[in-house]
Amino acid sequence: MATYAAPLREIRFVLNEVLNAEQLSKLPGYEDATPDLFDAVLEEAAKLCVNELLPLNLSGDKEGCHYENGVVRTPAGFKEAYTKFIDGGWTSLSCDPDFGGQGMPHLLELVVQELICSCNISFGMYPGLSHGAYNALAQHGTDELKQRYLPKIVDGTWSGTMCLTEPHCGTDLGLMRSKAEPRGDGSYAISGTKIFISAGEQDLTENIIHLVLAKLPDAPPGVKGISLFVVPKFLPNEDGTPGIRNGVMCGSIEHKMGIKANSTCVMNFEGAQGWLIGEAHKGMRCMFTMMNAARLGVGMQGLGLSEISYQTAAAYAKDRRQMRSLDPKKQDHTASADPIIVHPDVRRMLMTMRANTEACRALAYWVGMLLDISHKHPDPEKRLEADDLVALLTPIVKAYLTDHGFNAANLAVQVHGGHGYIHDYGVEQFVRDARITQIYEGTNGIQALDLVGRKMPQNMGRLMRRFFHPVSAYLETQMENPNMLEFLGPLAKAFGKLQMATATVAQKAFARPEEAGAASSDYLRLFSLVALGYMWAQMAEVALKKVESDDKAFYEAKLINARFFMQKLLPEHGALFVNIMAGGKVLMELPAEAF
Amino acid sequence: MSVQKACVIGAGVMGASIAAHIANAGIPVLLLDIAAKEGDKTAITKAAIDKLLKADPAPLMHKDAAKLITPGNLDDDLAKVADCDWIVEAIVENLEIKRGLYAKLESLKQPDAVVSSNTSTIPLHYLIEGRSENFRKTFMITHFFNPPRYMRLLELVGGVETDPVALARIEAFCDHSLGKGVVPCKDTPGFIANRIGTYWIQVAVNEAIDLGLSVEEADAVGGRPMGIPKTGVFGLIDLVGLDLMPLIAKSMKSVLPPTDDFIRTNIQHPLLDKMIADGYTGRKGKGGFYRLNAVDGKKIKEAIDLATGEYRAAQKPHPEALERAGKSLKALVTDPSPHGEFARRVLVQTLGYTASLVPEIADTITAVDDAMRLGYNWSFGPFELIDQVGADWLAAEIAAKGLPVPKLLDIAKGKSFYRLESGVLEYLGTDGTYHPVTRRPGVLLLADIKRNAQPVLKNASASVWDIGDGVLCFEFTSKMNSLDNDIMALLMKTVQTIPAKGYKGLVIYNEGTNFSVGANLGLALFAANIALWPAIEELVEGGQKTYKALKYAPFPVVGAPSGMALGGGCEILLHCDAVQAHAETYTGLVEVGVGIIPGWGGCKEMLQRWLSVKRRPGGPMPAIGKAFETISTAQVSKSAHLAKELLYLRPDDGITMNRNRLLADAKAKVLALAEGYKAPEEFEFRLPGPSAKLALDMAVDGAAGAGKATPHDVTVSKTLADVLTGGPNGDVTIALKEDDILALERANFMRLVKNPKSLARMEHMLDSGKPLRN
Repeated sequence: MATYAAPLREIRFVLNEVLNAEQLSKLPGYEDATPDLFDAVLEEAAKLCVNELLPLNLSGDKEGCHYENGVVRTPAGFKEAYTKFIDGGWTSLSCDPDFGGQGMPHLLELVVQELICSCNISFGMYPGLSHGAYNALAQHGTDELKQRYLPKIVDGTWSGTMCLTEPHCGTDLGLMRSKAEPRGDGSYAISGTKIFISAGEQDLTENIIHLVLAKLPDAPPGVKGISLFVVPKFLPNEDGTPGIRNGVMCGSIEHKMGIKANSTCVMNFEGAQGWLIGEAHKGMRCMFTMMNAARLGVGMQGLGLSEISYQTAAAYAKDRRQMRSLDPKKQDHTASADPIIVHPDVRRMLMTMRANTEACRALAYWVGMLLDISHKHPDPEKRLEADDLVALLTPIVKAYLTDHGFNAANLAVQVHGGHGYIHDYGVEQFVRDARITQIYEGTNGIQALDLVGRKMPQNMGRLMRRFFHPVSAYLETQMENPNMLEFLGPLAKAFGKLQMATATVAQKAFARPEEAGAASSDYLRLFSLVALGYMWAQMAEVALKKVESDDKAFYEAKLINARFFMQKLLPEHGALFVNIMAGGKVLMELPAEAF
Repeated sequence: MSVQKACVIGAGVMGASIAAHIANAGIPVLLLDIAAKEGDKTAITKAAIDKLLKADPAPLMHKDAAKLITPGNLDDDLAKVADCDWIVEAIVENLEIKRGLYAKLESLKQPDAVVSSNTSTIPLHYLIEGRSENFRKTFMITHFFNPPRYMRLLELVGGVETDPVALARIEAFCDHSLGKGVVPCKDTPGFIANRIGTYWIQVAVNEAIDLGLSVEEADAVGGRPMGIPKTGVFGLIDLVGLDLMPLIAKSMKSVLPPTDDFIRTNIQHPLLDKMIADGYTGRKGKGGFYRLNAVDGKKIKEAIDLATGEYRAAQKPHPEALERAGKSLKALVTDPSPHGEFARRVLVQTLGYTASLVPEIADTITAVDDAMRLGYNWSFGPFELIDQVGADWLAAEIAAKGLPVPKLLDIAKGKSFYRLESGVLEYLGTDGTYHPVTRRPGVLLLADIKRNAQPVLKNASASVWDIGDGVLCFEFTSKMNSLDNDIMALLMKTVQTIPAKGYKGLVIYNEGTNFSVGANLGLALFAANIALWPAIEELVEGGQKTYKALKYAPFPVVGAPSGMALGGGCEILLHCDAVQAHAETYTGLVEVGVGIIPGWGGCKEMLQRWLSVKRRPGGPMPAIGKAFETISTAQVSKSAHLAKELLYLRPDDGITMNRNRLLADAKAKVLALAEGYKAPEEFEFRLPGPSAKLALDMAVDGAAGAGKATPHDVTVSKTLADVLTGGPNGDVTIALKEDDILALERANFMRLVKNPKSLARMEHMLDSGKPLRN
């Protein structure tokens, strides 16, 4: 059975001991965001997730969503859980107080998302998408649109969606066909078909606010001609209640591999009334506002799934007895077999899950904190620096954390053996649920291209500087600490390889963009490993200082995990480096017809 | 006999600037204009000289050159023309007034003194009517382009009676001493460049208006791949002045036959007439097709709407036709879009007209191509353009319009105007056969050598060529001639190759617009951004070693720059045994602009130069101060002459006026130095150390206090001070070796390159082309 306790000690370690997240409370507007308040919020979030959401995870997966005549019914218990969710104010956590939000840092929102995604990713997507819509409207909408929609989205009575994909256009939005015709009253008539719309229709909220990409009649070709519109399911009345039904209907829902409790809808827009968000033809810019936040959110799904996968597998490994330890001294002769956790290969799997997950958490929270700094820091230089880092690390968080989420879920199945393959044990669901996170919000291949093609060359490497300089300086200063050498040696080596790979890829890409494409996925993984190594070094640095404290076991475990990462996981960088340096020629040699 | 003393009559913009340029060549010149009615009778020419000293771009290469210009007035000083062997007339374009002046000159000038007119349009045979035989034999037209210092074209027109010796003398003087590209023209209206150029301008304006293109669109299409200057046609009209256009047209029309296509295409445009009437005459007026308008305290570039005549914010169009065409002119002129149509109509008319004018206006197509490249800054001459679209295509386009196909296009049927025949460039003559493109005696061009040879050494960023007589030429071939590891590696290889293969010496030279603007800043910034410190230090150290190897090589090295030689491009010159510079060389150590200091021995060499100045009182401090001032303010010389003042060039370094003669002069210098050549001895530096640094630091703080230095200027300047004073261990009693100074340069360079404010400067420079004042 899925085993999960919210990893609050781990979370506090990262927030308070590694990142010093208390610094956020020094930023204007975040005065209340103290560690105490974080603690209190997270305790409550943990209760809600474990008591309300986790019990619905397996049943929701089994039952799935129901579609009938344009109406979608979510699995049993979801409606009640959602009511509790909004009653607890969880939809408003990081929203603007002007619209009824609680004004908490994004970092706190991300941490809560991790807990939700561990317990029930399908459920989490309903409020998660609302939050994406909130971001786009809050940043680009007119005051009138904001006043009309945001308070209801913030309090959760209405939800939001993101309608981008069409049958023939997924990654390449330039191919879009949906149209927006001016109605002459300042609004537009939106027509077209959108597919794969998560939470496009459901029975949880009284209204659904769709954010839709479409082209105006005078739109330039390609992605430069796309505009963003807000299209409500019910047109709001003057008093703010939902009014008449708009011309948008759910045509069907998809039957899919995972996240079965979240409705994935075909949405038909037939002259639906909509209003422009931001400037005409500049919809992609608005969309990226939600996309970047959404990509971090998907990263948290990977993290949440890896955490519950690890906990479930670890509990099983301590309980399940098979075979004898290879070391006679460790054999438990009171029983007929030893718990499988004595076996090195089982430990390899558990340690791989855990050492990755803990560093991924540190990385994701760091980016979350930078996101808040990029919004709130009084010094524009600091804001730019933080914004650069968020932009640079977002594709890494999205791609690496979801790859790891899937791998961890897969390893959890392996630890379970045959039982892992059985639905009732709950772990095979993690694999299926995790699989989509590597695909949506820009496939991980697209993330790699974003890193290599956009983030790397941007301003001749300024974004890169925000990461490379601190790491370089960290290595230089920490090298003086002899206890840190076992961690810094491997990190320095991997960092050097990353520098060389970066210079090589940048130079090759300049002459032949195909080379950058060929190297991109390996490069993103190499970069990710170095970033995780940097996180582990900092965690080890903290643990070394505190290992003699009352919480000795906790810090010793940290050091062992750090060591495991440096010795067993980081070396993968060597293979990636060789791979990158080999270039892309061989990838492109086979003619298409020979496939 | 060359020109020892000259006279320019007419102190307007052109006359004064011609006088200035003659002074640039070191020749004394008498500048005359009419006598002022009140007060100082020479006031007009004196004022003209004052204006020369203030004008930008500067007509004078050096302020001292103004002293070679003697002001005078026509009432009192005309008799002084008796001392001059060349008299240039640059007065108002009025036949009668010119004739009146010539009548006076006839009796005053020496028999073999030449009189030439700078007229743009009046035929020579009109000018000499009624003059004596001697005057007619020594009279010619020397047509300069504005501004005379910078525009390389000089159209030289002799009449039927002009003495070939006199003509050759002036040609030689204009070529060697004034550095002009002299193109012999026939005595026809507008000669070559203005005949074709004004036709092209009016056709382009006509077609832009007819096709409803915006001025920005027309100018964008005019750039690459057409290669018609980067200002575009409307930008060019703004530059020369809208009001000048009808004047030139009127003057051209008065002398051209009515059947000439110039007359057909000369259409009145009400908008243009109104703009001129309202004072919108271009950059010198209230604005032209473009203007800078102050809106809310910000300068906004605006362009005029050709349909409404109203200004609006300028746009940056990116016509898809240009994207589709890439570098292919043929693809552009056959593009179905209005932009392609514009390019097609303009080129078909302009190139067709040009083809119909040979041999009427010039004997050869090369003269026409030279004139348009040098006089109108076209990237390609008209016949080179015809080769790009095909002579047959052009003929077919003309025929399709029912117009007569020029005879020259018939001659060229199935052929190209230029061809490469066993490494020799040949052009098509009006006789239908090919002739080699010849250069004037003494002209040596790398482009010609390269057509017929393989490089001695070569890699991705540089090539080495054998330019004859045992001399090698090192050519940068990298993008923008930026300096990188490959260039350093090939230089090192060259240093080994020359003695090993028995060569005598090396010229460092190329035929790019700029000699080199220094290290590849983008690459350096990227490396710095990813903290590749060892690689950066290696690049610095590699450059230091390479440049030092050049300096101490057992053979002479002569640098031959033209255009910009900045940063590392200046440092390589500082390490040469001698420099032969084109007069238009703009050189300097500009590193501080991007937050760093010279790291390839630039600090060291400037110190050595200033410390070596003889009769220098007061110990090393004044020399250090000079080097510090030069480098910390990133001074760039605005001519080769000025580079000597800054000691970027040595007093005995050579200056070549004519770009095309630079390589030959540099090669001659190598050969002269090669006789008994001995490598220089290592210089020993005695530097005062921290006490001197303190003094410089205080000066920097003072500048900062006075608001003349930004906070990061202070950081960079103080770092520079550290190097130039010998570092923390500097002591006048201790002799430092070159390598000690290089180590200081390196360490301090590395310190700065890690500073985020320096990186911000580099980023800003790459982004905007302007320094960031942080």
